[in-house]
Amino acid sequence: MGQAPSSTAESNGREIDLRLISPVIIERRESMDRDYTGDLPNECLAHVFQYLGAGDRKRCSLVCKRWLFVDGQNRHRLSLDARDEISPFLPSMFDRFDSVTKLALRCDRKSVSLSDEALVVISVRCLNLTRVKLRGCREITDLGMVEFAKNCRNLKKLSVGSCNFGARGVNAMLENCKVLEELSVKRLRGIHEAPEVIVSSDSLRSVCLKELVNGQVFEPLVANTKTLKTLKIIRCLGDWDKVLKTVGEGDSSLSEIHLERLQVSDFGLSSVSKCSKVETLHIVKTPECSNYGLIDVAERCKMLRKLHIDGWRTNRIGDEGLIAVAKHCLNLQELVLIGVNATHMSLAAIASNCEKLERLALCGSLTIGDTEIACIAKKCGALRKFCIKGCPVSDLGIEALAVGCPNLVKLKVRKCKVVTGEIGDWLRERRRTLVVCMDGDGSEATVAVDGDGEVETVVGEPRVGQAGGGVPEVVSGNGGGSRLAMIRSKFGFLGGRNLVTCTFRRWSHNDNGSTSSST
Amino acid sequence: MDQNLVDLTEKLSLSSNKIVLTSSDGDSFEIHEAVARKSQTIAEMLDAGCTGTIPLHNVTGKILDRVIDYCITHVKEDGPFEEEEEAEEKEAKKKWDAEFVKVDLETIFELILAANYLNIKGLIGLTSQAVADHIKDKTPEDVREIFGIENDFTPEEEEAVRNEHAWAFEDSK
Repeated sequence: MGQAPSSTAESNGREIDLRLISPVIIERRESMDRDYTGDLPNECLAHVFQYLGAGDRKRCSLVCKRWLFVDGQNRHRLSLDARDEISPFLPSMFDRFDSVTKLALRCDRKSVSLSDEALVVISVRCLNLTRVKLRGCREITDLGMVEFAKNCRNLKKLSVGSCNFGARGVNAMLENCKVLEELSVKRLRGIHEAPEVIVSSDSLRSVCLKELVNGQVFEPLVANTKTLKTLKIIRCLGDWDKVLKTVGEGDSSLSEIHLERLQVSDFGLSSVSKCSKVETLHIVKTPECSNYGLIDVAERCKMLRKLHIDGWRTNRIGDEGLIAVAKHCLNLQELVLIGVNATHMSLAAIASNCEKLERLALCGSLTIGDTEIACIAKKCGALRKFCIKGCPVSDLGIEALAVGCPNLVKLKVRKCKVVTGEIGDWLRERRRTLVVCMDGDGSEATVAVDGDGEVETVVGEPRVGQAGGGVPEVVSGNGGGSRLAMIRSKFGFLGGRNLVTCTFRRWSHNDNGSTSSST
Repeated sequence: MDQNLVDLTEKLSLSSNKIVLTSSDGDSFEIHEAVARKSQTIAEMLDAGCTGTIPLHNVTGKILDRVIDYCITHVKEDGPFEEEEEAEEKEAKKKWDAEFVKVDLETIFELILAANYLNIKGLIGLTSQAVADHIKDKTPEDVREIFGIENDFTPEEEEAVRNEHAWAFEDSK
């Protein structure tokens, strides 16, 4: 029933319009005798389209010529199936879509992609492109990219994957697109044989190189671009120490560096340490890096705020390097350790010295156990988010978090085999403002401390501790935790947290959900 | 909700300025200035020195009535009381908004026009979303029927557009 409208209608002494109260709409043909959208100016219609996805917009553009026009004029994002057969449709398509600023051209592996000519046809009609993604456009050569570059000078972001052009094409983009800020290159096959190197840029802020052979041709770009802030080199073949050496020797303003699955040694890490402005460093699965390299980084990168290390369980990075981090990296806010066998020796030092440490993730370590958790709990005053995954931690360690880490707001415990669900509930009771996510809580997505080493917030609703008294809240069953949730709601209003806790503890000894109630 | 409105109007009487808006068909509405300022158009008029009565030639009384309801309900947003909003209030507003757009399409279009003319951002969004919801997942034929639109494509033209569309991915938004 319509609320405010009808009541106001009454108070103004006007007749209540029955149409206002009826639930509405579509079935009643009689009122749709003319095109009401005709009253709307194009900008309003365009605004409506903004709330529609690409599929719906396609259907809208088939409604009538005006809708076709408005949709086309206001399409800023377009993603096309970039097969060669698309070529005859391109002129009319881009006559209509003349406002596209973000364009993706994707061609699957089995098809022949569009050609240089087609790319040029697009580029002359899309002079305002700011972002372009090319995927699998294997027929595009350096020549096509050169022409493309000359037309699309306003490009800010370019992402290229599985294409066959080479250094000449990349250089053309860098030379012509004077405001290019982000460049991402993955599997660019044309650079394999190239003697040509990639020139530096005056505008680039972020470079990401993935799965390249002979990616070292990017050395002048990454070493000499003064504006470069972010550098990511992931799964590229060959030795990278030399490139990093050149990077380190320049007056680098890099603030973020990711090195993953690369042939990089302590020599390279030591060069990285010369980038004194580095705030974020990811060292992932680089088995030639050891404590020595990490010590160099710790000593020189005073501004380090985020450090992710995936030691790949090779045991080359451990307490020694981390103690150096504890000693020197006093600005550290975020630390992620995956496959690193750290012990309480270094973790205690980090917890004590890194007074700004807010986010900590410890994953896949053989040595991180209850002692380590306890000393973190005791000493890590600023910690807000803590994730423990696949470590030999037990309930005892989790218990320590009931009193430690006074600023903790979120705790995630995953795949720690001997940690029980009950300790999670126990902890929630003890700390009302702490969000606790454990295995078997139900709807959450996987913890994202993965290859990328990102500490991310959980998807789905974790349960916060409920009061013993007050209104019992039935948490909707989402699988594992639902039995406990239902039980909590039943006993909630009987008061006495102790009753609830004891009940949980007793039931934890029963194997399958025997529902005998406590007496 | 009504008690909240009373509380709110009491709170708002801190700024005791009242503005009178008149509709195209002669209805008058007296509202607090803070409510009126939800409309960027009116806010600009007020800043430019308009006082007292503001005539709105493009909006009928019936629609203006509803627009004002919206503004009163949402006056707390980006205002001095914004921080006080709790999750419960936000939920209540969402429900109110959902009811607000449960009207016939003709009214929704009139609301869009009014919201556009008065430049009330939240209302533009709410009503645009409501219209979009009617369009979602419908075929072009259905949409024409709902909105009373004539198909002015020739079969060849329509075919040409459909051919183009075959090349555009659904997932781009």
